[in-house]
Amino acid sequence: MVRRRTLFGQVLHYGLLIVVLAVMVGPLVWMLRVSLLDKTVSLTAQNLLSASITVANFTDLFAQSDLARYLFNSAFVASVVTLGNILFCVMVGYVLARRQTWPSRILFATVVIVMMIPVHIVIIPLYLICLKGGIYDTYWALILPFLINPVGIFLAKQYIESIPPSMEEAARVDGASELRILFRIVMPLCKPAIAVLAVLAFITNWNSFLFPFILTSSEDLRTLPVALALLQGHQAIDWQHLMAGSTVAVLPVLVLFFVMQRQVVSGITAGGIKQ
Amino acid sequence: MKSRSLTAALFASPWTVSFILFWTFPLLYSFWMGFTDYQLLSRHAPQFVGFDNYRALLGDRDFIASLKNTFIFVGGTIPVTTVVSLVLALLVNREFRGRGFFRSAYFLPWVTSMVVVALIFTNLFERGGYVAMLAQMVGFEPPVNGFLYDRGTALYAIMAMDIWMAVGYYMLIFLAGLKAIPDELYEAAEIAGASSWRQFTSITLPMLRPVALFILVINSIKSFQVFVEIFVMTKGKFDTSTVVYFIYETGLQTQFKFGYASAAAYVLFVIIGVFSILQFALMRRRQAAW
Repeated sequence: MVRRRTLFGQVLHYGLLIVVLAVMVGPLVWMLRVSLLDKTVSLTAQNLLSASITVANFTDLFAQSDLARYLFNSAFVASVVTLGNILFCVMVGYVLARRQTWPSRILFATVVIVMMIPVHIVIIPLYLICLKGGIYDTYWALILPFLINPVGIFLAKQYIESIPPSMEEAARVDGASELRILFRIVMPLCKPAIAVLAVLAFITNWNSFLFPFILTSSEDLRTLPVALALLQGHQAIDWQHLMAGSTVAVLPVLVLFFVMQRQVVSGITAGGIKQ
Repeated sequence: MKSRSLTAALFASPWTVSFILFWTFPLLYSFWMGFTDYQLLSRHAPQFVGFDNYRALLGDRDFIASLKNTFIFVGGTIPVTTVVSLVLALLVNREFRGRGFFRSAYFLPWVTSMVVVALIFTNLFERGGYVAMLAQMVGFEPPVNGFLYDRGTALYAIMAMDIWMAVGYYMLIFLAGLKAIPDELYEAAEIAGASSWRQFTSITLPMLRPVALFILVINSIKSFQVFVEIFVMTKGKFDTSTVVYFIYETGLQTQFKFGYASAAAYVLFVIIGVFSILQFALMRRRQAAW
């Protein structure tokens, strides 16, 4: 629908857009600014606007705390989980998309049901499973339960259903194994869906707090969100350093989001449209 | 054919295993625990106690308070989030210069880690912080110890932050819904001489109903489980404890009362389940009435 707008209407529109922009981005800009503020300077508006910029808070954190370790943990766990999601969600999605048998239908129903289950209600049994299974407080506890997720399966299945199966059938006639078909034909065709589910899996796991928090206890295994949340209680830490740590935790996903905006948006809206 | 079924079963096994190990088993396990006095540090084996945990929960003031807070949180955030995100979607729906930029910028809070958001707002809500300054500017006297250290404002401050964080996400879903409305409807309305407002109430709103249902359901499932922001900002003090915070406190923090905490988890599970079903039924009936 194209409708001519008056000049007044346009000014009003942009005015509103900018007010909302200030509200939405302001707190993040504040974080960035405080992270670059000298630690001896108070957080008054005047200082935020005029005090000089320093990266000392960042160098302090890397030199004097285990920030590098936490950063590695976050990156390692999120990467492994993302790779697992790519492989397993496409594999399962492929079966669910192509097979019209009753086990396949039941399995798909379980995927949809789990998408609706509130995860936080299983924190206690999951904690016990990890404890008794001997993976509590190891990287396994941060990775294993999250290697596959129903949203990713759902996205992969929907996408594969939209591709005609002719290439797979041709390969099958030529005697290709199912594994070969999966890796050589389905996976490459699924690249757009893989990009979507990978970026969503990465961002979700990078930001995840509750499960890494309850499934580990040693400092060596803390991811960035866990480390930041636990740092906050300490009297010794000032806002400048806390915000520097926060910036380190936020920057990678912000960059990823800007590079892969289209994928993030289509992943989020795919679920909404389908309903 | 037999071998293809086998391959299919093999390919599907990551989900089958995950579904059983990380979903079915935990759900059944905690259902059972809810009827026992299971406590990690207890000497004796868990005993079956029937509905004792559930009865005790009803008389537990901390639990009732956390339940009340959770309902305030859900009931307060969801309507505001839904309306604001719809307004934002309408604001960035039409073609204009910089549309992509504004859309992405509004979405940024959602991409940010909840822990970081909670840390930022802990400062902004402090005594003499930026929110207090803004409040004074509009003639509202901020609490003397800061918004998070006051029983009257702490929970509402956290709710405001949650709304801020969520609106960009639901805006995107509304945008997808707006895009799915056929242009012909508006063209026909235009020819018939319908005003913009009339077009909005008679075309846009009814056509957005399925999307609104989806938003209500996923938002309530998410909001009933509010935890991280409570943990980071108030540790459940100043009347901000929620059900998941209660589960964490009684189950995992110090007391390790698994039976009791599991019962609380199941209460929440049933509430969320009932809510989702109700919303589906309600929206479907309305749709049929159209």
